[in-house]
Amino acid sequence: MLGGKAPSELLVRQAHVLDPATGLDGIMDVRLSSGRIAEVGEGLGGSRELDAEGLHLFPGFVDVHAHWRTPGREDEEDIESGSAAAAAGGFTSVVMMPNTDPIVDRPVVVSGLVRRVERESRVRAHVSAALHVGLAGERLTEMRMLEQAGAFCVSDDGLGTGSAGVLRNGMLYARSAGLPVILHCEDHTLATGVVHDGVAASRTGLPGSPASAEDTATATALILAAETGAKVHITHVSTALSAALVGFFKDRADVTADTTPHHLTLTEDLVSTLEGLYRVNPPLRPNCDREGVERALRDGVLNFVATDHAPHASEEKELPIEEAAPGFLGHETAFAALYTDLVLSDRLSLRRLIQAMSCAPGQWVGGAGSLAVGAPADLTLVDLSEEWTVGRDTLASRSSNSPYLGRTLKGRVVGTIVGGEPVHDRTGAKFGARA
Amino acid sequence: METRSFITLEDTSREELREILDLAHGFAEGRIPDVLENKTVCLAFFEASTRTAVSFELAARRSGAHVISLSEKGSAISKGESLIDTVVTLDRLGADAIVLRHQAAGAAALASRHTSAPVINAGDGCGQHPTQALLDLYALGEAIGGFGALQGHRVAIVGDVLHSRVARSVIPAFVHTGMEVALVAPLTLLPPDAGALGLPVLSSVDEAIEWDADILYMLRLQRERMTGARIPSVAEYARYYSVSRRHLEGGALVMHPGPVNRGVEISGDVVLDESSLIPDQVAAGICVRSAVLALSTGAIHRIAA
Repeated sequence: MLGGKAPSELLVRQAHVLDPATGLDGIMDVRLSSGRIAEVGEGLGGSRELDAEGLHLFPGFVDVHAHWRTPGREDEEDIESGSAAAAAGGFTSVVMMPNTDPIVDRPVVVSGLVRRVERESRVRAHVSAALHVGLAGERLTEMRMLEQAGAFCVSDDGLGTGSAGVLRNGMLYARSAGLPVILHCEDHTLATGVVHDGVAASRTGLPGSPASAEDTATATALILAAETGAKVHITHVSTALSAALVGFFKDRADVTADTTPHHLTLTEDLVSTLEGLYRVNPPLRPNCDREGVERALRDGVLNFVATDHAPHASEEKELPIEEAAPGFLGHETAFAALYTDLVLSDRLSLRRLIQAMSCAPGQWVGGAGSLAVGAPADLTLVDLSEEWTVGRDTLASRSSNSPYLGRTLKGRVVGTIVGGEPVHDRTGAKFGARA
Repeated sequence: METRSFITLEDTSREELREILDLAHGFAEGRIPDVLENKTVCLAFFEASTRTAVSFELAARRSGAHVISLSEKGSAISKGESLIDTVVTLDRLGADAIVLRHQAAGAAALASRHTSAPVINAGDGCGQHPTQALLDLYALGEAIGGFGALQGHRVAIVGDVLHSRVARSVIPAFVHTGMEVALVAPLTLLPPDAGALGLPVLSSVDEAIEWDADILYMLRLQRERMTGARIPSVAEYARYYSVSRRHLEGGALVMHPGPVNRGVEISGDVVLDESSLIPDQVAAGICVRSAVLALSTGAIHRIAA
C-alpha cells in the first residue's frame, strides 16, 4: 500500500513534538511533503492540515520482532492484519520473523514476501530470513542469495541458538553476507519447562525453565559476537544477569539488545492463574529480573524495546499452560503498557521510552526513528490522557492473545503516518480535512 | 655434502625462490646430468596422493635416483607404523632424502628432527605444500615471461584458505616474489588472522576482477565442506567463488592445484581453456621437484646464502 499514492502534503499542527533523536520537545507544527519531513517549526502553513492540539507527536515506533504468521497461519495473522495491528500500536516499521510455514529459508520465499509486503502492508516491513535451513541449526541458509532477494537480516527466532560451533559459523557467514543476526537466546538442554523455574513453578508443579537457559545462551552468543565481529542483536532479554552480560560486551562486540513490554511490566506471578494465555518464551520472570531488565533499559544497556508480537489462535491458547503455544500479542499495547506502568510511575522517562521505541530501533533498521528534516515522514500521534480497556473488540490483530486483556491502560495511539500518509486514524477523520 | 630440508616456504626469500626455479629450468631443458645417481629417495605417503607421488617419483628417477615408495598397500605405513618410527627406519636404511606426505600439520618438521636425511614436505595436513607453490611459481613464470616478470602482478587466491596447505605455501611464495595477493572467501573459510596477514579480503570472483587480478588461483573445496556447516550450498558457493568464462575476458589466467571439482571452483568449459594454466602446473611438477631433490640432497650446491 506504500508508495502507490501521488506525493502529497500534510501539515500536522500544534502537536507536542518529542523526538530525542533531534532534541525537539515542545508545541510545534510539522509539515510533511513527498513522503518526508519537510519542515518543523511554529506557524507553518499548508494546504492539508491536521489539528493535533493536545496530542503528542513522536517519530514512528519501530518493532524489530514481529510474527505476522504469513505464509502458513493466516488464520492467526496475515500481512494486512499484522500491519493494521502495528499501525494501531503506532509502529511504522517492523521486522517479520522467519518461523512461518514454509520457513523463510529460501530466496524465493523472501522475494515473494517482499512483493506481498509492498502490496499488503500498511507499514514498512522488513523480512528476516532464517539463519539455518529449517531453523534446524545445522545447515547455513544461502544468505548471500537471501540478501539479494531482499532479506534484511537473519534469525532462527523461536528456536534456541543451538550448538556454539554451529552458531559461530552462522555469525561468520552472516558477516560475509552483510546481514545482521537476531538471536533468541535459550539453551534447549536447559529450557525444558513451560514457565520460569521459580516460586510459581514450585507452587504449581509446572515444569520450569531456569534463568540459566537464557543466561548461558546469551553469554555464548555475546562471546561469539565479540570473536567473529558479526553484527548481532539479542532479542527479548528477560533476566537481570543477561542484561548485565550485554552491558559487559557493549564495547567489546558489535552488539545491541532489546527487551519486551511484557518482560518489563509482567512477572511470573501471572503463572499462578494456570492460564495458557500467560505462556511465553522466554518465560515471565520474577520481579527482581523484571527490575534488572527495567534498569538496563533505563540506562541504555538494553538499547530498545521490541514486542515479539506473536498471534495465536484461541485453540492454541485456551489450554492448560503446559499445552498452550507460547507467545503474546504485542503491537497494540506496547506503548500504553509501558507508559502506564513505567512512565506514569516515574520509573522511566517519556523521553527514554520514545528513544527505546523509535530512535534506537529506527537507527538499528536504518533511516527511521527521527523527525529530522529530510527523514521519512513516519510518525505517531498519541493522546497521553486517553484511558482505554484492552478488549478483543479493540484489537486490530486477527488474534486476541494479549496478556493485558481486560486491563485499563492510559495513553492511546490515535494516528500513525507512514511516508506522509495516514495508515491508522482515530482522530475523527481529521486527516482528510482540507483547510 | 650440505643437505637441507624443504618444510615450509614461509621464510624463503625472493633470491632463494629464483635460484630454485632457475635450477628447475635447467632440468626442464635437460641441461643437468643424472645428479642423483646412487642416491636413494624414499617416498613416505601417509595420506593418499596421485599426482604428487607420481611427480616426485618421476623427478627422482629422471635424475638417476633409486626410489623406495612406502605408500603402497602392505607397507609399514598401512600397517599402522608411527611417523617417527617410519622416519627412523628410513634413516637407518640409508635414505638420502625422505619425501613425506602426512595428514597432520607439522608432520614434516617433526620428521626432520628424527633423521639426518633431508625431509621434503609433500603436504602436511592443513600446514604447508612447498613444492606445489614452487611449481605454481614456475608455471606462472613460464606463462608470463619469466620469474622477473612476476613482480607486481595481482593474484587472487579463491576458496577454502582455512583448510588449505596449498594456500599456506603459495601466499608466502607469491608475496616474497613481489606479487600482490588478495584472498577471496567467506569468513567461514578464512583463518581468523586473515586480516592480520595484511592482505585484502574480497567477497567474490567478480570483486577480484574489479581489483584487477591477473591471476585467479582457485583452491579445491573438499567434499566434506560442501554440506552446509561452513558454506550453505554448492549453488551459493559457485555463484560467488567459481570462475567462469566471463571472468577471463580481460585476460586473467586461472590456476588450480588439482584435482578440480568442475562446476564448483571452475566452470567446466574453463578448466582446459587457453586461460587455464592447470596442465602447465602439473607439467612443471617434475622439473621443480628434480631441482628440490638436487638441492636438498646437496647433489647441487645451494646458491643462496
